[in-house]
Amino acid sequence: MTISSVDNKARSKAIRVLRRKFGELAKNIVEGRKPVLILPKRVLSNTIYDVRRKLLLLGPEMQKRNLLDVNEARKFMQTLLMASIIYDALINNEYPTIRDLYYRGKHTIIFRDQKGRLHHENTWDEQRESDAVIRDIEVYLGLLREEMLILSKEKGKVVGNLVIRSGNDIIDLSRMGHGAYSIEPTPDLIEFKDVDAEYVLVVEKDAVFQQLHRYGFWKKQKAILITSAGQPDRATRRFVRRLNEELKLPVYILSDSDPYGWYIYSVFKIGSITLSYESERLATPNAKFIGVMMTDVFGSDIIRDKISRIRVRDVETITPRKLKSLPPKKPYLSERERRNFIIKAKPKDVERAVELVGYEVADACLDNKEMRDRIRRKKEGLSGYPWFRTPPWIRELCIFFKTLAKLEIEAMASKGLKFLADEYIPSKIETGDWID
Amino acid sequence: MASEVVVGEQYRAISPAEFFYKYREIAGFSNPARALYQTIRELVENALDATDAHNILPDIKIVIRRADEVNPYYKIVVEDNGIGIPPHIVPEAFGRVLFSSKYVLRQTRGMFGLGAKVAILYGQITTGRPVEIVTSQPGLKRIYYFKLRIDINKNQPVILEKGSYRKNREWHGTIVSVTVEGDWSKAKSRIKEYIMRTAVVTPYANIVFISPEDEIIYYKRTINKLPRPPREVKPHPYGIDLEVLKRLISSGKYTTIYDLLTKSFQSIGDVTARTLLERAGIDPSHEPAKLREDKLLELTNVMKQYEKYRPPTSLALSPLGEEVIIAGLKRIYQPEFVEAITRRPAAYEGHPFIVEVGIAYGGRTPISTDRYPTLLRYANKIPLLYDEGSDVTTRIVKEEINWDNYLVKLPAPIVVLVHLCSTKIPFKGVGKESIADVDVIHKEIKLAILEVARRLRNYLSKKMKEEERRKKLISIIKYIPDITNSLAVILRGDSIPREKIVEKLVEIISLKLEVPKNEVYDMLKKVEIGV
Repeated sequence: MTISSVDNKARSKAIRVLRRKFGELAKNIVEGRKPVLILPKRVLSNTIYDVRRKLLLLGPEMQKRNLLDVNEARKFMQTLLMASIIYDALINNEYPTIRDLYYRGKHTIIFRDQKGRLHHENTWDEQRESDAVIRDIEVYLGLLREEMLILSKEKGKVVGNLVIRSGNDIIDLSRMGHGAYSIEPTPDLIEFKDVDAEYVLVVEKDAVFQQLHRYGFWKKQKAILITSAGQPDRATRRFVRRLNEELKLPVYILSDSDPYGWYIYSVFKIGSITLSYESERLATPNAKFIGVMMTDVFGSDIIRDKISRIRVRDVETITPRKLKSLPPKKPYLSERERRNFIIKAKPKDVERAVELVGYEVADACLDNKEMRDRIRRKKEGLSGYPWFRTPPWIRELCIFFKTLAKLEIEAMASKGLKFLADEYIPSKIETGDWID
Repeated sequence: MASEVVVGEQYRAISPAEFFYKYREIAGFSNPARALYQTIRELVENALDATDAHNILPDIKIVIRRADEVNPYYKIVVEDNGIGIPPHIVPEAFGRVLFSSKYVLRQTRGMFGLGAKVAILYGQITTGRPVEIVTSQPGLKRIYYFKLRIDINKNQPVILEKGSYRKNREWHGTIVSVTVEGDWSKAKSRIKEYIMRTAVVTPYANIVFISPEDEIIYYKRTINKLPRPPREVKPHPYGIDLEVLKRLISSGKYTTIYDLLTKSFQSIGDVTARTLLERAGIDPSHEPAKLREDKLLELTNVMKQYEKYRPPTSLALSPLGEEVIIAGLKRIYQPEFVEAITRRPAAYEGHPFIVEVGIAYGGRTPISTDRYPTLLRYANKIPLLYDEGSDVTTRIVKEEINWDNYLVKLPAPIVVLVHLCSTKIPFKGVGKESIADVDVIHKEIKLAILEVARRLRNYLSKKMKEEERRKKLISIIKYIPDITNSLAVILRGDSIPREKIVEKLVEIISLKLEVPKNEVYDMLKKVEIGV
C-alpha cells in the first residue's frame, strides 16, 4: 500500500494536536484541578450570520464540559472515548468512516445503581450521538474531520473538462463514460491539474444530473457538472468552494422549487447550522441560485396585489417600494404546463417556508384561510433566516405562499431535456436571471 | 285441616347454654368456616392468657386435623405451657356457661371466657363429639385427663371420662381438643392470617401451627421479655351505674355507705367520699342496705358528675410495650425501618386505656393498597380481622393523614400496627371486630401514629438524601474506566500512567461529593466495560 504524502502529513499533525490537548487535560487532573473540557458552544443560539461576509459562523460562546456535573459526565466520557478511537485509527494508518467510529466506540458499561440494581448502559445508542461527539472534537481540537482522515460516505459526483490528481493518480473528469467521479471525502487532498470550463452547475437531483450528463450538457456549455444528490455532504461543499475560490469559476445552483431545495442552495452558499464552525471552509458565498424559481413558474405578476402588504424589518427594512422595483419576470411555463407539473404544497412545506423567510411574509401572502390559521397558530412571530429576507427571496416565497405550489426540477426536464439544457439554463445564465 | 290453637305464649327460662346455642351467630359461629376460625381464636386466646399473663413464656401448638372421612369434621388441638387448671374446676370451667375466671376487672383477651364454651357447644351439636382436656399445674405430680359434654338444658357438665397419670417430666399447661364441623378450605386464609397477626404481637412466644395438609408454620420466639401482666383493680366511679351499686350493697360486706365507697372504688378516699355523700344528702354512717332506691339513684348521679377524681389507674392494663412491638414486627417482616410507641394511659368514661402504635417499612413488609398503609389492628392483644372499613383507625390513616407528607408514596411496603388496650374496649357492633370512634381514643391513636410516622419520615428523608448522593456518585463513576482507558490510549508512552489518573480522579470526586475515597473505589470496582 502506498500512502500519499499529503495523508501522512495530515496524520502526524492530527496526532500531535490530540496528544497536546488531551495531555493538558491529564495534567490538570494529576494536579488536582477539575476535569473540564472547554469548547465552543455548538448550538443555534451561538450561530451567527455574518452579514458582511454572508456566512454562517460559530459565535464566541464557550461551554464547559465538567465530569463532576452529572448532566455533563456522559458527554465528557463520550468525548474522550471518541478522541481515543480517532487517535487509535490515526496511528494505525486507518481511514475510518463516521459509522466505523460509531461501531468501534459502542460498548456497554455495566454498573450497579444506588439500589444495587444492575444496569447496562451503552456508550452511545445511535449514530446521531456519536456524530455529535465528532463535531465536538472538531471544534475542541480546531481540526476538521478530514484533517483527522475520517471518511464519510461519498455522495457527490462530478464530470467536466477538469483534470485532477487524487492520491497518486491523475484523473481526467471528461473521460468518465456514462459514470462520474465520486468526490472523495478528503477533497483538500485533491490537486487541480487542468481545467477548461466557464462555470460550475450544481444540480440537487442525481437523476437530472445523469440526464444532463448523457445529453452532453457540460460539453456543449463548457461547464463542470456536479450533483450533491440531495443535502450536500461536506466533501461536495468543499469541492465546490475550491472550484470557485481557486479556479475562479462562477457557481450556479439548480434545485427543486420548494423550501427544501432553497435551503440546499443556502447551505452551499452560506453554510449550515450544525456545521457552522466549518462554513469558512465549506461555504461558497459567491454561489448563485439559478432555479427553479417560483417566478420561472408563475411570473412575477401573480402577487402584484400582495406586494403592498409586505413589510419586513430586519438587517435592512424591506418596503413594498423596494419589492416593486425588482425587475418583472415572465413565466417559462404555459398555463397548461403549470397545471401538469406543479405539486400541491403540504402543510409541512409551508411551515418550513415560514422558518426560512419569516411569519410576516406568510401572513401577507397566504390566501388559503385554513393554512393561514394553522400558520398563525404554530409560527406566529417567527422571524426567519436573515439571508432569505431579501427582496428577491421574499418575492419567491410570497408566490409560494399564495399558490401553495411546488415544482421539482424533473418537471422542467419533462417539458423537454432540450428545453432544460439548451434553453432554460443557458438563457438564465446569459440574462443574469438568478438570485445572489 | 287440623291446627293447634295457641292459647297463650309459653314463657320459660332458658339456660345460658341454651341461649348461646340459639344465638351462636353473636359469638361468631354463623357458618362452618367462621366456626372453625372462631374455635381456633378462642382456644389460642385462652392459651395465651394462661401463659403470658402469668409470666410464662408461651409455647403454643395448634393442630387442625380432619376428624371424619365422610363428614367435614375437624379436630382442633391447642396446647399451651400455661398455669393449667385445678382438676376439680375443669368440669365447671369447660362445661358450664358463664363460669369463668374472667369476671374481674382487668384486661384479658376474652371478656367473659364465653368463647371456648360456645365452641364446645357448637362442636357437640354439629359432631356429637365430646371435648377432651389434659391439664396440670406447676407443682402438681399428676396430669389430669377429662372427657366432657355440656348438658344444654341444665347448663351442667357431664363427665364422660376422667383420669390421671403421673408426670414423668416437669410439665404444666393445658391441652384442649374440640371436634367441630368446619370448612377448612374457606377458613384457611383467615386462620393463617389470624395466627400470623397473633405472632406479630407475641414475639416472646413459640407458636407452631400444623394444618390439615400437614403444613407446618413455626414462629420462633425472638425475645424473652413479656408484656407487663395486668393487675386486678377496683372500678372507677365514672363507670358506676345503679346495678353496680346494688350488687356491691348486696354483697353485705360493708356496714356503712362510707365504707362501701372508700373500699370498693378506686380514686375515692376519705375527702372524696364525704363530698359525694354530702352532695347526695346521705349520712356517711348510713347502712347501705337500708338506702332507698331514689337515694341510690341520687348517689349514682353525683358520683358520675363529680369532676375531681384522680384518673382511673392503668395498672389493670397490659400494654405490649415498644420493645415487644418492635420485636414482633421484626420477626414477621424483617423491615428496614421499625419504630413503636406506647402512649401514656388515658381514660374514657371511667375506663383506662392505652394506645400503642408500631410502623414497619420496607424489608419483607407487603405492599399496601394505594389508599392507606396495611393495617394491623389489635384490641387487648387480639387481632381484629373483620370490619376494617368501619374502624376508627382506618378512618384516621385513610382520611386524616396525608402519607405524602411523611414521604410515603402509596402503595408502599408499610404496615401500621395499632393496639388499643382497655378494661372496656368500645367495640362497634356485636362482631367485636372494629373499634368505635370515641373522641379521646381517636385523638390518642392519631397522635401515636403521627409520632411514629414522623420518625419514619426522618428515616426516609435521610435515606433519600443518601440515595441521591450515591446516585450522583455512580452517575459519574460509571464513566471512569472509559475515560481513563481513553486517556491512556492517547497518551501512550507519555509520563502519566493510567493508575495515577484513576487515583487522582477518585481523589477529586471524593473531595467534591464528600464521599470517602474507599467508597468511591468500591463503586468503581463494580463498574465493568462490556461488549
